[in-house]
Amino acid sequence: MSQNENTTTTTDEGGTDPQTDDEKLISTDVTTGEESARAAATSRTMVEARGVDVYYGDLQALDDVSLEIPEGKVTAMIGPSGCGKSTFLRCINRMNDLVDSARVEGDLLLKGKNVYDDDVDPVALRRQVGMVFQEPNPFPKSIYDNVAYGRRIQGLEGDMDEEVEKALRRAALWDEVNDQLDKSGLDLSGGQQQRLCIARAIAVDPEVILMDEPASALDPIATSKIEDLIEELAEDYTVVIVTHNMQQAARISDQTAVFLTGGELVEFDDTQKIFENPEHDRVEDYITGKFG
Amino acid sequence: MATETGTTTEGAAFGKISRLRGIVFEYLTLAASVFGIASLGVLLGYVFWDAFGLQAADPLWYAAFAVTLVLPLTGFALYGRRNALAGEVALELFSTVMAGVLGGFALVVVLEVIAGSDVWSAYFATVAGPLAGLFVYGRRNEANWVGLAGLGALVVGPVVGTVALDPLTRVGELLGGPGIYFLSLVLPAAAIARYVVGDVLEFGSGDYAALATVVVALVGVPVADQFAAVTRPIWLMFHVALVVPFGIVAAKNLADRDRWIGFAGPLILAGGVALLVTLPEVFGIAGPEPWFDWQYVTANPSRFADQAGLYPAIIGSIFMIVLVALLTLMLGVGAALYLEEYAPSSGPLGAVTRFIRINISNLAGVPSVVYGLLGLAVFANTLRLGFGTVITAAFTLSLLILPIVIISAREAIQSVPDSLRDASYGMGATRWQTVRNVIMPRAIPGILTGTILALGRAIGETAPLIMIGVATTKFSPPGGLFGKMTAMPMQIYTWAGFPSQEFQHGVVAAGVVTLLVVLLTMNSIAILMRNKFEQSDI
Repeated sequence: MSQNENTTTTTDEGGTDPQTDDEKLISTDVTTGEESARAAATSRTMVEARGVDVYYGDLQALDDVSLEIPEGKVTAMIGPSGCGKSTFLRCINRMNDLVDSARVEGDLLLKGKNVYDDDVDPVALRRQVGMVFQEPNPFPKSIYDNVAYGRRIQGLEGDMDEEVEKALRRAALWDEVNDQLDKSGLDLSGGQQQRLCIARAIAVDPEVILMDEPASALDPIATSKIEDLIEELAEDYTVVIVTHNMQQAARISDQTAVFLTGGELVEFDDTQKIFENPEHDRVEDYITGKFG
Repeated sequence: MATETGTTTEGAAFGKISRLRGIVFEYLTLAASVFGIASLGVLLGYVFWDAFGLQAADPLWYAAFAVTLVLPLTGFALYGRRNALAGEVALELFSTVMAGVLGGFALVVVLEVIAGSDVWSAYFATVAGPLAGLFVYGRRNEANWVGLAGLGALVVGPVVGTVALDPLTRVGELLGGPGIYFLSLVLPAAAIARYVVGDVLEFGSGDYAALATVVVALVGVPVADQFAAVTRPIWLMFHVALVVPFGIVAAKNLADRDRWIGFAGPLILAGGVALLVTLPEVFGIAGPEPWFDWQYVTANPSRFADQAGLYPAIIGSIFMIVLVALLTLMLGVGAALYLEEYAPSSGPLGAVTRFIRINISNLAGVPSVVYGLLGLAVFANTLRLGFGTVITAAFTLSLLILPIVIISAREAIQSVPDSLRDASYGMGATRWQTVRNVIMPRAIPGILTGTILALGRAIGETAPLIMIGVATTKFSPPGGLFGKMTAMPMQIYTWAGFPSQEFQHGVVAAGVVTLLVVLLTMNSIAILMRNKFEQSDI
């Protein structure tokens, strides 16, 4: 697909920083000469997809998607319903593994390591890739236990009270709930519940946070709080967000990927460029509201 | 006239839509439910009429009955409709008493009648004690080896206990029955009371609760000695199963002034019964002549109606149903969890899973007598577990209700929203962690409801018991897992065939009432446990 060539040469953020050699998931076999040249030209790549196809049974949900998501940025995925943007998101932390009929082809690299390699444990992968879902889904437990859940199941060391407070502060929820940590997470309002879910996700300090339409079930005020929060989170984490709301993508993201029908990635570029001067007529039609 | 201007005509022309079919349907459904409830009421009334010998009672006695019990309780029920808290508290107290009575009986049956204090002491030292200790340790320190050690104790403990049964029972004999039960029941109960009062319910001091548990146990001993029927071990067991839980529940409700009104329900009931017993005697009014009385539930069967009792059958049924409950909960919940959470749902293996799911539903509809044949062939003949023994009956009835338990457990597990599963897996939880922390806590209330309904079916079964050779009448309770038994429905059926009217009406009806009381008690335990789990769900 021709547009993929555009996608790889877009980012011009001051990152002429060639070091890709850190962390646990790195594997040496993938860094070909061409790749490192690209990496040098852009900021470091956190997630890279190469020709990813996803099938649900006979239905193709993603068609040859290739893109590179930079580290420490907010990357938005927009597109009409059923275009495969959520499917792509769920490929990154292999949540699609839980769907029996789902089949993934192609390479999906997190920090240079193909997450679909045989030696990758999806459970270990998900511990480094947090996820926030469309509907706020706190556990029917106390606020404290919700935030502590991830650290408990992962057996992380450290003072739990401190970590819970840190995560709640980071999710801009601490001031509202600090005197009612024993209360059920379900007693909070929708917006608070979603911030609780974000606190739960960041309490284990993941590399990447995936957000699947995190504000679509919320009112405008709660939405704006979540949006502020996402921009703050991008300082420490790589955020990938799926949204239906194009204004939201324009407001908060640095990069935008536009998926159109048939699970096709049509364009991936700086958000500003996508919204002001897209390469493809179909993208322009979609963004200006002519369809979708 | 509205038709004069065009706009009002359009606005008013909504007309009428026929609702005739809907109204007919509504009243048909009403008639169906009224018919069902009314016929059930007639049946129950008939049984109670016979069981309590109500035909002997004077009309004045009915008046007294209405004044002392019916009117006050109706009044309380009406009040409870407006003040939900009162009804809730009354129900909680009532369920606690029912559960305590059944729990006490279960303890007496298992520990005194079947095992004996010395054998219990041996297995407490090797199995129950270590398990409880490990459980407590595991709750305090989140150590991974505790679960494995518990599993080990569950396997090794019974072996050690059986091999070393002889020396261990001799140690037990030194302590004597009451001493053993004090150490193995009262002291753990005190510890549990301390934990529950102080840490879980958080009212008052746990230390006082523990102290009260021990003191009441000791003070009760001389009181119990006054009654021939209540031996010291029996007192200690009922203390642990009935007095302590009731004390905790009552104290919890007493701590909150708003809940005091709930005590009116049980007080009205107790006061009404006391008045109803004393008043007619004082005024010389003829009361009913009940067949269902203390003598009936404690005596052995007899050729004479007025001496006949259901004791061996009650013990046999309770013993059997406890085993059935343990077996079906473990197997049924395990199978349901596997089918819902682990089994593949697509591909060739998915077809196998679907086949199994469909056929479990089919198995739930197989006539019980077929399960009886199966039990006879497999458990009694092939595995040589014996004809008419407790263990054969328990296995056979477990098979009978297993499909029902699996289906209801599956439904309870399905009802846990997928968004919670996603949340857990998304946090990097393993399947086991998700099942343990997210799915089970949500599914347990539903699983318990389904299981109790199924157990209600098992305790009333007769056909499979006939097939595996369970005795129709026995004059002593079963002496162990491999002891011969009889069950309540078997004994009732036998009596129904006796020629005398007294048996056909009085004794049989009393047996039916006993069966209903046991069922009601089981249900109240289920309600208690469900409420508890729903509360702990915050």
